[in-house]
Amino acid sequence: MHELAIARDLLHIIDRTLGADNVRVLRIDLAVGAASGIAADALRFAFGVIAEGTRAHGAELSIAASPARGRCVGCGILFEFEGMIGVCPACGKLGGELLAGDGMMLRAIEVADV
Amino acid sequence: MCDSCGCETLSRRTIDVNQPLLAANAAAARHNREHFAARQIFTVNLMGAPGAGKTALLEATIRNWRGAGRIGVIEGDQATERDSARVRAAGALAHQVETGLGCHLDAAQIHRALHRMELARGDVLFIENVGNLVCPALFDLGENLRIVVTSPAEGVDKPLKYPPMFRAAELVTLNKCDLLGHVPFAPDEWTDYVIAANPRARILRTAAIDGAGIEAWLEEILRRRRAFLESSAK
Repeated sequence: MHELAIARDLLHIIDRTLGADNVRVLRIDLAVGAASGIAADALRFAFGVIAEGTRAHGAELSIAASPARGRCVGCGILFEFEGMIGVCPACGKLGGELLAGDGMMLRAIEVADV
Repeated sequence: MCDSCGCETLSRRTIDVNQPLLAANAAAARHNREHFAARQIFTVNLMGAPGAGKTALLEATIRNWRGAGRIGVIEGDQATERDSARVRAAGALAHQVETGLGCHLDAAQIHRALHRMELARGDVLFIENVGNLVCPALFDLGENLRIVVTSPAEGVDKPLKYPPMFRAAELVTLNKCDLLGHVPFAPDEWTDYVIAANPRARILRTAAIDGAGIEAWLEEILRRRRAFLESSAK
């Protein structure tokens, strides 16, 4: 349940971003890499618990999956992984060197004045 | 203030943030890494499932250590001080972190533990992470080497089921290799899966109980430590 630690971090960044503004957070836009190991539902659940009583209480978590891309170690082509481990579409080799798609980013927040 | 009349739409606005998550952990990890480099403390993060044999492998490492410097161990478990007692009995300095509900160690916990340990310049630090093939993979501790300890009893397919963990490691050891032949496990298939998750991983075999592979294990750690000492001395 590492999503709890990530939810805490998310709230911390939001708090720092908003400073003393008297607003309510309506939506949180996240980009989560498909190979990051983050479960969107678990993150939503954890954030709901963590955000209770804060400006972000009830905010919608909009989680966009950013694709995992890597290089085949067999034939060297670049391809998009389906899931956390790819299968090379050219030579069929299992796996590959992951080059993108293991990160998590807070893109933007939508707020309204209270 | 009011959820129903739509007045909020008047003041709605979007704030661009574009910040990576876990940035606070990354900052704490960077701080630890600088500390390790400045004090020449080579630090290893041992990860793996509960029962993979991490503590037994640490005990064998401590008893057979022939490098300079003492060995310190930070033990991470949900509960009990059993593992710190074990590694202390084997001859290491030890500090236990009981994580309670936490499923992994984070960089700030390591920072706090370092303040409670008396490590000297040139010592070696092993961090035995909480037994878990999922969460520890995501948390940089500032370590210099990440190792996954796994065993034949776990079956061949764990690298496919838990790729971030195997991807996070520079070194993967098949521990309890004395079980080969006694449990269903195809080593070549497992090796293929480790490479599929992480083409750069170096793979070793160890058996902490009968000592098989411990020499090569120590040599690999000492080799990486030498490289760390050379680069951090610059």
